[in-house]
Amino acid sequence: MKKHIYLIALAISLFSTQVFSVNVEFSGYGSIVAGKTFGTVDDPINIGERRDEIFTADFYDVGQYNNDFSFKPETVFALQAKTKLSDNVSITAQLVSKAVDEFSPDLDWFYLTYKLNEDWTFMAGRRNIPMYYFSEFSEVGYAYPWIRPPANLYWWQVTQFNAVQALYTFVWGEYNHTVNFFYGNEYSKDNKEMLFYERLYGTGASSVDEFWTDITGFNWNVSGEYFDVRFVYFVNDRDRDIFFPDGSMTSNRHFSQSFIGFGGTINLYPLTILFDYNFVDYDDVRGTEFPTYLISLAYSIDEFQPYISYSKADHERTKATPPTEDLEEHYLLSVGLRYDFIPTAAFKIQLDKFVDQGHAPTGWNYHGDSTALTFGVDFIF
Amino acid sequence: MKKVPLGFKSPVIKALIGVTAFVSFMASAEIAVIVHPSNANAIDKAAIEGIFMGKRNKYDDGKVAIPINGLKESPTRDSFNEKVIGRNSSQVNAYWAKLVFTGKGTMPQELANDAEIISTVAQNEGAISYVDASSVNSTVKVVATY
Repeated sequence: MKKHIYLIALAISLFSTQVFSVNVEFSGYGSIVAGKTFGTVDDPINIGERRDEIFTADFYDVGQYNNDFSFKPETVFALQAKTKLSDNVSITAQLVSKAVDEFSPDLDWFYLTYKLNEDWTFMAGRRNIPMYYFSEFSEVGYAYPWIRPPANLYWWQVTQFNAVQALYTFVWGEYNHTVNFFYGNEYSKDNKEMLFYERLYGTGASSVDEFWTDITGFNWNVSGEYFDVRFVYFVNDRDRDIFFPDGSMTSNRHFSQSFIGFGGTINLYPLTILFDYNFVDYDDVRGTEFPTYLISLAYSIDEFQPYISYSKADHERTKATPPTEDLEEHYLLSVGLRYDFIPTAAFKIQLDKFVDQGHAPTGWNYHGDSTALTFGVDFIF
Repeated sequence: MKKVPLGFKSPVIKALIGVTAFVSFMASAEIAVIVHPSNANAIDKAAIEGIFMGKRNKYDDGKVAIPINGLKESPTRDSFNEKVIGRNSSQVNAYWAKLVFTGKGTMPQELANDAEIISTVAQNEGAISYVDASSVNSTVKVVATY
């Protein structure tokens, strides 16, 4: 961690010296959030035992609340630096530092932007995969009403990739369109979320490498005066290597997945409707499918914005013998309030009720029910 | 956002044409959306919203649109956001946070006051901004008042 900080300090001091008279624009965002769960549940994994309710707020980084009040699961600080190399070429980097990672900063975003003309923009480098409607800015708490996008949908173990993207912007039928084509790969060595599951089930694995390759697809974004909606489709290959302390390794059978989704926001000020429907389909022997959706309403009253949200995730195997829907399944019901106490920061308080409807006899209810109260401040600068 | 002075190379105003003289008689609480006098495009509310929210970067005639904001704290900007964008300033900032931190847009540049905005719009063919309707003079063209 210290090494990172020295490097950042060095980079900043280099940029600020006269020798490199580069104009760097700094901006950033962050969230200081704390919360806890209430009560205990029957442990879905260790039958016969009780444990604290656990609410997973951040699946990718395994940010979880339990009965102990904590700032750790979601508190985050990000610094963005952008510099123009020429009139149409710029470099953007984002250092993201999370409490759940002991504030060790990671270069989560680092990409080059080339603006060919007013219609075409190209990007190359490290970015978030544009999966769900809120995926690309899922950590910019200030950008949406809730404390976080619904955690039970944003559950994937891979969220970023190294990619090339082409964006084409045009006006058609009085609406503004942007089509974003992308291709990228992610070789996630020592994947945190997958290792968490290995430990949860006591497999004895010491690390998991997760590979999402040939991530190929597009987004089509359409916006008008009162709405902004986005269609997404992509496919990619999936591989996983699981390592054990004795040096042995097992590999999951290779398969491909497709991701399709339609989501957006409808702005009927003071009412805002936010929604997302997504369908993930594996070409594995079991015919695995994950239909998920979100619907949320937020209502503005001056600087206050109360909201409610419902999100549902399901897991099915359509080619298993017999086909089954008795697998993972859960919904999350959230109510909260956003208060914009200054134009660049918002206080939020949110109550989440996570209901695990997974199949208990086979252990698919492994999350367990939970009720969590979280509050905090999201800001931009 | 960082305040950057405009450095456009566009020619100085060709002629002081199409000036809407009645504007100066409007109530002071009104917001006037202004463009360069040579800008002949019909610019409705949806187009203004599209340009200021980073959804649209050109006018109907294909020329590049350059939106200019008042300062974050200014009442004119709050009023513009409420009346034209249809959201309060915090919600407009929240919308821009999404674009800025995903590399999909750059927030419009900010200028300090109505006088600076008017002189900048008068000198840049693609510029579009808003001022208190009572500040408007003949060097710019008013496309709408709200």
